[in-house]
Amino acid sequence: MAHGTSLQYEPVAEIGGGAYGTVYKARDTESGQFVALKSVRVQTDQNGLPISTVREVALLKRLEQFDHPNVVRLMDVCATQRSDQETKVTLVFEHVDQDLKTYLERAPDAGLAPGRIQDLMRQLMCGLAFLHSNRVMHRDLKPENILVTSQGQVKLADFGLARIYSCHMALTPVVVTLWYRPPEVLLQSSYATPVDIWSTGCIFAEMFRRKPLFCGESEVDQLGKILQVIGLPSEDEWPTDVSLSRKHFPSLLPRPITDFVPEINELGAQLLLKMLTFDPLKRISALNALEDAYFQDEETLT
Amino acid sequence: MARTGFCDSKPLLDLHKKADERRAPLRSWYACGTIDCWQPVEVEESRMVPVKMEPVHRWERRLSAQTNESIIMGFNEDRLTDTAADGCVEENMLLYPQLQGFPSLQALVPSLLRHEVETALEKLDLIWDRTFAWDMFLDMMRTQAINTLPNADLPRDFTDATRSVLVDWLIQVHEILHFQEETLYLAINLLNRSLHVIKVTTVNLQLLGMVCLFLAAKKEECLLPEVSGLCYLMDHTYTKPQLLRMERKVLLVLKFDLSYCPPLHFLLLLASIARCSAKVVWMARYLLELSLLEGQCVVFLPLQLAGSVLCLSRQILQEPPTPEGEAAWCLASSVHVGSETAVLRIMHTLAGAAAKAHTRETCATFIKFSSPETMYVSVHPGLKNIAALLGVCT
Ligand SMILES: Nc1ncnc2c1ncn2[C@@H]1O[C@H](COP(=O)(O)OP(=O)(O)OP(=O)(O)O)[C@@H](O)[C@H]1O
Ligand SMILES: [Mg+2]
Repeated sequence: MAHGTSLQYEPVAEIGGGAYGTVYKARDTESGQFVALKSVRVQTDQNGLPISTVREVALLKRLEQFDHPNVVRLMDVCATQRSDQETKVTLVFEHVDQDLKTYLERAPDAGLAPGRIQDLMRQLMCGLAFLHSNRVMHRDLKPENILVTSQGQVKLADFGLARIYSCHMALTPVVVTLWYRPPEVLLQSSYATPVDIWSTGCIFAEMFRRKPLFCGESEVDQLGKILQVIGLPSEDEWPTDVSLSRKHFPSLLPRPITDFVPEINELGAQLLLKMLTFDPLKRISALNALEDAYFQDEETLT
Repeated sequence: MARTGFCDSKPLLDLHKKADERRAPLRSWYACGTIDCWQPVEVEESRMVPVKMEPVHRWERRLSAQTNESIIMGFNEDRLTDTAADGCVEENMLLYPQLQGFPSLQALVPSLLRHEVETALEKLDLIWDRTFAWDMFLDMMRTQAINTLPNADLPRDFTDATRSVLVDWLIQVHEILHFQEETLYLAINLLNRSLHVIKVTTVNLQLLGMVCLFLAAKKEECLLPEVSGLCYLMDHTYTKPQLLRMERKVLLVLKFDLSYCPPLHFLLLLASIARCSAKVVWMARYLLELSLLEGQCVVFLPLQLAGSVLCLSRQILQEPPTPEGEAAWCLASSVHVGSETAVLRIMHTLAGAAAKAHTRETCATFIKFSSPETMYVSVHPGLKNIAALLGVCT
């Protein structure tokens, strides 16, 4: 089967070295299409392929059947045995021209038009609402993991993979960026789908700023930077099951979000604050965000 | 315990002797028929390794049902433009094909049925939150066809009889390992699909069957048996590396696609809406499991099978009707389970199978459902003259 993969997909270029491996651009020799190949090395034990990998890949395959416009197509899955203890699972995705990071870098000096940002955000939220209603969390949303086609279509990438990796992370010293992590993850409290909303909020701000909103250097520093903007939450909002105490942070009042994202309009600012809410239970959900006044506002387009 | 009776029972031993005489390549199967062979797995806890469970997350469900609906319908429309032919149909067509073409979904779906479906899914513990119940049901309806086979063809040298011996053996292993019922339905679905695409020799059939059960367990179960335990159950006919190689092979040909909506879920859902008695449900479950043994049944949709066995079960048991019961049955019947011909074919096939079940060699299911826990449904006298009964109603 190793031959199967390497024969059918002819590597063209290295696209990016992520924390977990390299992504290749390749050509499908059968269809002539470009694809993106991404491999995970999975440690197999006495019981074969780990249950987590089997379940997660099955889940990705299942979501694939819905053919959602804002989720990257998973075209094929290959598994190759490398040794008795290791199997390489290769996921074959449709190739998309660029990621959101590049897209923002290439934006004109004046920045993206407000209507463009509104459209990108709506698509992002649609993709997210779809994942969340299928009980899938992304957990690693950031501009590099969001793809944008040359027609401006947003496609979420890397979803679900986070969980495949996390089971085997002990093997690679992983440095995943902190900048899009919500407070509950930084505090190592329990978390669920609201994590993705937080990250999307950070990305929303970044679309205007064209640089990240919170650039912390450590987990504590990251949380400090967040609190400088949204203010120190009340005692009862601070999770109880965490080691880092609220007293650790200075008592700060929230600052106007427009100090950090000056170009955002009034409705956008209101939505952004609903996404950057400290308490995950009070944070807006993807479906409710789609109903938000910001997306109904035609003025943004002009 | 039902299992003791089942293992002690004579038919089981006879069965394997006969199967052995008939088909030499399946030679090792007889070894699994004796109780000494099964027992260690049942009692020895060490064979079961706890699976690392992901922390259970409480997902956010604060969404209104209505916004949800608009999302599902929204992207349905996206789909319909280019995939109208691949079996994905709109909700109202799925439920009420006769009403096809009407514009408003809200007006079409009787809120009563929706309410019943939501309640039933919640009662059956199939959903985490009621907000998503209706979406989940629509999803079940839409995706059930995906992994159902287009035809009942089997690979060369492989007959329906061989297939049922294998399925019967898997039913026994499944019971010994205390797996969930869903696992069995998924395992047999994986087996059916694999048989269509993998070239497998008769010698390796048992291995393929075991791997399908193992993969189904990886998807569904919390406790997983060790591979060495599975090899033991096959009397060490195959080695561990052989089993693991087959596992990879099956995953590859199935492209890791292990999604399947078991007919059991549709059965429990319909039965719950129809307020069926426990006995009707047990009988239907028995008939549904019998359908696994029938090679001809692999082409039917899970919902068709579920609807048909429920119908058949009611006819067999002939419980006195009550007004509430009839009303509930009417409501459940408003879910379109399939064409009348398909339903009748399933009912005829299974009525025949149930009438002969006690005489067959592949009788693990018959024995399983003859226990007091299952209300003795497989030995119900009504099964004997069911063929005649069916003649009346057709
Ligand atoms: N389907 C695709 N088409 C085009 N480019 C892609 C595709 N998938 C990923 N890429 C590009 O490859 C880069 C690295 O891939 P990716 O980020 O998915 O790797 P990773 O190993 O998951 O790393 P990390 O999780 O740290 O981001 C992405 O930032 C993106 O630019
Ligand atoms: Mg990535």
